[in-house]
Order: sequence, then structure tokens, then C-alpha cells
Amino acid sequence: MAEILGTFEQAVLLAIIRLGDDAYGRAILQEAGMRLRRAVSPGAVQATLERLEKKGLVMSQLGSGTPIRSGRPRRFYRIGPSGISALNEARTTVEHLWSGLRRPLKGHA
Amino acid sequence: MRNNPPVWAEAILRLFLKPDVFLSVSGDLLEQYRDSILPDRGLFRADVWYLTQVLGFAFRKTSPCAALFAGAYVARFAWDTLLPTTDFHVRSQITTYTSIGILLAAGFWTAWRSGSYLAGPAAGFATVATASVLSAGGNAVLLAMWHDAATMSAISASGGLDEAFLLPAILIVPGIVLGAVGGFVGAGAKRLSRTP
Repeated sequence: MAEILGTFEQAVLLAIIRLGDDAYGRAILQEAGMRLRRAVSPGAVQATLERLEKKGLVMSQLGSGTPIRSGRPRRFYRIGPSGISALNEARTTVEHLWSGLRRPLKGHA
Repeated sequence: MRNNPPVWAEAILRLFLKPDVFLSVSGDLLEQYRDSILPDRGLFRADVWYLTQVLGFAFRKTSPCAALFAGAYVARFAWDTLLPTTDFHVRSQITTYTSIGILLAAGFWTAWRSGSYLAGPAAGFATVATASVLSAGGNAVLLAMWHDAATMSAISASGGLDEAFLLPAILIVPGIVLGAVGGFVGAGAKRLSRTP
């Protein structure tokens, strides 16, 4: 069975896919925050990226710096085959959980 | 007007991260600081934002050790409360040596990661500070569950509520010292491991 992902991990992985070659720390932070519709802290994103990399779901490499960063390098991330499998599994699990139910749910508040 | 975060805040961040991770993370923070936080919030609030991010990284990097440290004190509080005794010698030794081991490990790993001797005392401080809050919360939960007369009497006999809630915070200075010892070994070992 593939890795079971939390919501935040899925948001980070999907941000990496959406950003493509521009997936570095701050861009991932902005993309994930926009999709989750809440403020996301750089520390939370960095911790998640480190965890995903340790699990082998993403890979990273240092790129070049820019003047606004005082030349400090960006770390670019890309998703690996295990990451794709984990996302597919997460999506399938949610679809199975919701199958046969109408959204939005109606009933007791 | 300066458009850099405080140098000392960046120095603290450097203590808790691997050197290559520090470069990319501090670059991300600097980019966000200059690009959106400083123009939106002004210098003082931008510096507060930066320091908050740094403390967040310090908290995350020391939280496993802080959780263990707090767990040891909450477990000790539960032990003394639920299984009262008149001889605390063995229990105190267990708590003391467990705390020493955790703080040495916190200093060692943080210094090993960053390669800095100063990372040890910083890790000791961060570990004890975080653990103080966690253990106070844990002890409060235990107290909310068990607060009958016999339990309160057992708490009084084992040092009282003051000790239960304040002891981890009192250990800030020993925490810094033990973190420094662990950090000295960790940073030294890191430098030795790099020597060809």
C-alpha cells in the first residue's frame, strides 16, 4: 500500500506538481496557502518538505540565487513516482469514502 | 531604511538548520520579508514576523526532545500522585538522569546538524522552554482528572503544585549547560567526521 498522506502533505505535493520547474520553498508556500485558503507558515512547509523527501516522495536540488534573496540559493523540488502513487491512493481513498453520498451533506447540524 | 531582518535572528536560525538548508530557507524567508512582509507591515512588525518564523523553526527542531522531557515530568507527576511514596530517592534519580540524557541528546543532535558549537546551548534552552509549557499543560490535565483530597495530599507530600508546574522552567540554566556539553560533543564530532 502506498504512503497515506495528510491534507497538508497533499497540498504541498499538489503545489509541487502545479508549479512544475518553479517549485521552490516560497512558491510552494504561496500555492499551498492559496489552495488551502489559509495562512501557511514557512516552518510548516519546510518540515513537510523534509519529511516527504525523507520518505522518498519528493527530490530536491539547489538552484541559483536572486538579488532579492541576496544571492542565496533556491531549493527546487520535484515529485517522484512514489509521490504520484501516494497522491493517487489518497484521491482514491477519498472518492471511496464519498461514493454514494451527495455533496453537500444535508441533515442534522 | 534597512531591508534586512535582524542579523541576530538570522544567526539563531543558522543554529537550528543544516548549513545547506539554512541557505535555502533563509533565502525564502528573506525573499518573503523583502517582497511582501516589509512593504505591508513596516520594519518593526516585519522583524517580529521574522523572529516568529525563526522561533517556529527552533520549536520544530527541538520539539521531539521537548516532548520527551515534558513527558518525563508529567509521568513523574502522575507516578507521585497516583502511587504515593515517602522515599523519592529512586524516582528523583530516574527523572534526573532521564532529563540529563534528553538535554545532552538535544544539544548533540542540534549541533551535529548545524555544525555550530553554539547550537547546543540554544537547543538546551529551546528544549526546556518548550517542555515547561508542555508539562504544565499535561500536569493541568492530570490535575483536572484527579483532584480528590487523597490525591491533593499526595501532591503536597511530593513537593506540592509549585514544584509540579515550575520545576521544568527552573531547569532553564541547567538545560543550557547540558545542551552546551552535548553541543560541544556534537559539533566536535561533526568536524571530526568531515576531516579527510
